[in-house]
Amino acid sequence: MKTIGKRIAASAVAAMLVGAVLPTAASAEVLKFVSWQKDEKGVGDWWASVIKEWEVKHPGSTIEWTKVERSAYADTMTTLFAGGTPPDIVHLASFEFQAFANNGWLEDLGPWVEKAGLNLDGWSGQEICKFQDTTVCIMMLYYGTIFGYNEEILKQAGVAVPKTYAEFLAAAKATTKDLNGDGIVDQFGTGHETKGGGGQYIAEMASYLFDAGARFTNAEGEVTIDTPEMVEGLSRWKTIVKENLTPRDLSAGEVRKLFADGKIALKVDGPWIYSIMQQGAAKDKLKLASVPFDPPLGGSSNVLAMPSEISDEKKQLVWDFIAIATSDKFQTSFATLAASTPPSPRADLTEAKAQIPHFNLMVESQKAAAEHKIDRIPVGLEVQFNEFSKMIQEEAQRMIIEDLDPAAVAKTMQEKAAALQ
Amino acid sequence: MSLRFLDLARPSRQHWLGYLLLLPAVALVALIIVYPLFVSLDLSFQKIGMATLSAPRKPFTLDNYRKLFTSPDFWNACWVTIKLVVVVSAACFAVGLGTALLVNNRFKGRTLARLFVALPWAVPEVIAVVIFAWIFDSSFGLMNWLFIKLGVTSQMINWFSEPTAAFWVVAITMIWKGYPFVSIMTLAGLQSIPEDFYNAAKVDGASALQRFRYITIPVLMPVLGVTLVLVILWVFRDFSIIKVLTDGGPLKATQTLSIMTYDQAFGFFNMGYASAIGIVTLILCVIASLLMLGRKSQAMY
Repeated sequence: MKTIGKRIAASAVAAMLVGAVLPTAASAEVLKFVSWQKDEKGVGDWWASVIKEWEVKHPGSTIEWTKVERSAYADTMTTLFAGGTPPDIVHLASFEFQAFANNGWLEDLGPWVEKAGLNLDGWSGQEICKFQDTTVCIMMLYYGTIFGYNEEILKQAGVAVPKTYAEFLAAAKATTKDLNGDGIVDQFGTGHETKGGGGQYIAEMASYLFDAGARFTNAEGEVTIDTPEMVEGLSRWKTIVKENLTPRDLSAGEVRKLFADGKIALKVDGPWIYSIMQQGAAKDKLKLASVPFDPPLGGSSNVLAMPSEISDEKKQLVWDFIAIATSDKFQTSFATLAASTPPSPRADLTEAKAQIPHFNLMVESQKAAAEHKIDRIPVGLEVQFNEFSKMIQEEAQRMIIEDLDPAAVAKTMQEKAAALQ
Repeated sequence: MSLRFLDLARPSRQHWLGYLLLLPAVALVALIIVYPLFVSLDLSFQKIGMATLSAPRKPFTLDNYRKLFTSPDFWNACWVTIKLVVVVSAACFAVGLGTALLVNNRFKGRTLARLFVALPWAVPEVIAVVIFAWIFDSSFGLMNWLFIKLGVTSQMINWFSEPTAAFWVVAITMIWKGYPFVSIMTLAGLQSIPEDFYNAAKVDGASALQRFRYITIPVLMPVLGVTLVLVILWVFRDFSIIKVLTDGGPLKATQTLSIMTYDQAFGFFNMGYASAIGIVTLILCVIASLLMLGRKSQAMY
């Protein structure tokens, strides 16, 4: 009898233990998060803080954060999705998510946004996340460009800080020099990547095109390349590259390093240029100002999304992560940690403005770009963007290599872009 | 009865044991080579953007092959691939054979010379590409500096912005990376030639050139044949050198079939079309290999 009693007691204890452990085991989840920004100073720290907050709110569950290099990112994500093992938290560049959405791989976030009551009015760049009338992602960065210049080089050349394209061109010409007379130019007026992929190439030439009033498509998605404005924009790009006012065949990182080390006088770039300037040999001579192009180039950068084929439980956990990342608290900390403009209109920028001297420049540039709906990804060519950007890159290169008339090039681009649609 | 049937120790069943032992390797090869090949072949007959293994099969179509054979980009990629195969293979053989003959002789410092000959083979491809990207950098590269100092040119050459220059930069990098393989293979072949052959030829009054023409080359032919096939296949499929140096540009001047396949698959997400290019590339490689290997047996004497 005593033995039976002991057995019953032991069974009860065991059942209680199992009961206590099971819910935890069942709710303990590991979410996979793949990103190229893991080791990036600033923005990487911000992602880490979001992960930490999520793990605090979901005791026992963890986020497995893996870095994949940007150059291999599209291949890796495509392979993961194709193999049926997508990451739970989907982080994609704003120029590549459309292909994933087009394949039905991304969840419609509309109902989630509605259920959570997340107000996306005034959220910079969010309209880009609308794909075939559904919200397939949340924009995590829409930036405006800022303008860096080397004060000493400008002074030596006797030119003022440019405020328009004409002044920019004159300053670039005046500061492109062979300093030691060996026949090799060793100081450049400005710097652009001319070697990389099509998307980056478009971003490099876009300032000149937009300032000339050119657009690749109109609001309805019709191709509008064969216009006098585009011809003017292409002529400007041709002048900058053909006259060697920029070093040739370098990657974006190499160009930024040259600017930071005092080999380039003028540089239009995203908010990340500031941290690179701080590490350069010429950091004391480098200053920031408003971009001498109107409107300034702005652009969507990266988005958060959710795979459509994961379980509902996991979807809830992923949404919790998105909710933390888009909360006012974390949008505010994005400004200070990433030293960048958060997309949320509700972010409190007071601390960021106090900490980062040029923060206002970034905010103004972002606002101006967003008002003009500036983005390197043209409306109506989102899904074909990679093919489109490659075509634009090749035709622009052909214009420079074969010294073609920009008007003829615009005509060719128009035909090829229309054929892609 | 059934146990006796499975008795692998019986002389008439011994070959079964061989097949049984081979089975895991064959299954593995089938899994990692044959299955993807089959999937690729299947995809090439579907009009498909991004492929998902679990998705239902799309209707059979020959559209990808129709598009491929009417595409100027495909024929351009074929032409670039053939040019690279011819230039790189020929140069690799010339340099590889020359260096192998050199380091096959006895001289002081031969071990060190052999080490230097083989060195590029040991350098990882990406490192080699970075070195050559710096050498041929259009703004700050060593080659431009050298050319200007030597008076070869008065202005900087944009190595990666000029189609012809970019092709030669890619070819030179591939030659530098590829010739040590020919050299090592040839050296191994040279060391297997009996010294008696040369001694007999010398007694008969054969000159050095005649000994090379009538002894060295014929005996080396089987080795050279296999090496040639391997070099051709390497140039055909090499991806990283071109991808990192030029990404197929400018104006598709260095776009080979492998770069085109990658661009279509992971750049433009046209998996069906990319698979068609891959299948055609495979067929071309098989044809080239068969043509080369078929000649091997007739080569020696």
